[in-house]
Amino acid sequence: MKKHLIKITLIICLIFPVSAFAGAALETVKANADKVLDVLRDPSLKPESAKKTKKDKIRAIAETMFDFTELSRRTLAQNWKKFSPEQQKEFVSLYRSILEDAYADKILSYTNEKIVFSKEVPLSGKTVEIQSTVYRRTTEIPIYYRAMLKDGVWGVYDVVIEGVSLINNYRTQYREILSNKPPEALLETLRKKVGRT
Amino acid sequence: MHNLILASFLVLCPGLVWADTVQFIDPAHALETSATLQTLPDTNADIMIGLAQNNKAEGEETKRPAPAESDNITDEVEEEGPRIADPLAPVNKVMFHFNDKLYFWVLKPATQVYSHIIPEDFRFIFSNAYDNLKAPARVLNNLLQLRFKAAGNELIRFVFNSFAGVGGLGDAAKDALGIKKQEADFGQTLGRYGIGHGIYIVLPVLGPSSLRDTVGVVGDRLMYPLTYIDESDLTFGEAAGIAAHENVNDTSFKIGDYESFKESAIDPYISMRDAFVQHRKKEVDEAKTK
Repeated sequence: MKKHLIKITLIICLIFPVSAFAGAALETVKANADKVLDVLRDPSLKPESAKKTKKDKIRAIAETMFDFTELSRRTLAQNWKKFSPEQQKEFVSLYRSILEDAYADKILSYTNEKIVFSKEVPLSGKTVEIQSTVYRRTTEIPIYYRAMLKDGVWGVYDVVIEGVSLINNYRTQYREILSNKPPEALLETLRKKVGRT
Repeated sequence: MHNLILASFLVLCPGLVWADTVQFIDPAHALETSATLQTLPDTNADIMIGLAQNNKAEGEETKRPAPAESDNITDEVEEEGPRIADPLAPVNKVMFHFNDKLYFWVLKPATQVYSHIIPEDFRFIFSNAYDNLKAPARVLNNLLQLRFKAAGNELIRFVFNSFAGVGGLGDAAKDALGIKKQEADFGQTLGRYGIGHGIYIVLPVLGPSSLRDTVGVVGDRLMYPLTYIDESDLTFGEAAGIAAHENVNDTSFKIGDYESFKESAIDPYISMRDAFVQHRKKEVDEAKTK
C-alpha cells in the first residue's frame, strides 16, 4: 500500500508540471484577461452604482491571476529583506491595491480594442513570458505577462508594456524612497496613496 | 494666446517626428513609455560612462551582491532595468511640471473640444497623413540601421500610401498589402551604434528625452519633408499650426493614458524617467537584432 502511494505521488508529480507547461501559462493568463474584459464589458455593470461590484469582481480575478507576493519581492529586490515579515505583508497588500487600480484603469481603456495572445516564451526553468498585443486604431501595443509556476499554478509577477517592466518601474520609485528612509516611511506613503491612513 | 504659445513650442521642438515612436514622449502618452530613473551617485563620471555606452551603467547595477539564501524567495537574480544619469534633475522637474500643466490646462481641453467636433474617422485620416510625412525618416533610419527589409517595406508603404492612399490619407499599404509600419528614428540609430543616452532631459512639450535622443529629434527633423518647404510657401505660423494640430489630433486617440499613468505612479517624475529609459532600450535592442 505504502509503495503504491509513493508510486502514485511520483506519477502525479511527473504529470502535473509537464501538463502545466504545455501552453498552460498562456491559457491561464488569457482566460483571466478575458474574464476581466467580460466584467468591464458587462452592460449590467455599466452604471456608476455598480462600480464597487465591478471593482470587487476584478479584484477577485486579479487574485488568481497575479502572484502578488512574488511580484512584491521582485519589485523590492534587495530591499525586501529590510522589511520585517509584518511589513512585508502590509507592503504586499498596499502594493496590490495600487496595482489593481492601475491595471483595471489601464485595461479599462482598452475595452474596445482587440487583444490577441500570440505565444509564450520560456524565460527560465519556471518562468515564461506570455506575449499579447492590443490593437488600437492608430497603433499596436505589445503587452507581455511574465508568469511563474508555483504549486502547479501560473501566477503573473510582471507585466511588460512596450518594453517597460512594471516591477522595474516601481522598483526605481521605491528605491528612491528607501535610499534615505526606512521601510515604514515607504509604507506610510503607500497607505496615503491607497487612502488607508 | 495659449495656442500660440503651444504652437511656438511645437515648432521650437520639432521632435514631433517622434511622437509615434515614443508614445510616452508627450505627457499624454507618458503611461505607456516611461522608465527607471535612479540618479546616479557620481554624476560626472556617470555622464562619461553614459555617453560612452549606456550598457556600462547597467553593468554596474548587476554587480550588486546576489540575494542571500532563501526567504521562500526565488533564487534567480532579479534582472535590473537600465538607468540614466540625471544631473539636471532640478531643471527637468520644472519642465516635467510645465508639461503636466500644459497637458491638463491646454492640450487636454483643446483635444476634448476637437474630438467633439471632428469625428473619429476624420481624425484617423489626419493621423495617417501626418504619419505618412514621417515615412522618409523611417526609411532612412532603417537604412542607417542596416535593416534593409524594413527600409524597403517603409519605402513601399510611403510610395503606395502617397499615391493609392491619396497622400497617405489611409494606410492602404497595411490594409491592402499587409505591410506594417516599421518604426525607426535617429536617436535609435545612434543607440544602435553604441551611443548611450548621456543624460536625461525633459523637453518642453515633447517630454522625456536624453542628450542622444535630442540630437535624434534634430536629425529626424532634417529628414522631415516639411522642413524643406520654403518660408514663403509655409510660414512659421502655419508650420506651428500644423504641428499643434498634429499634436492635438494624436492626443485625441490617447486621452486618459497620461491620467492613468499619473494615478498609478508613486513618484510620477521618476516613473516617467524609468519608463523612458526602459522603452528606448527596447527600441535600440530591436534595432540591433532585427
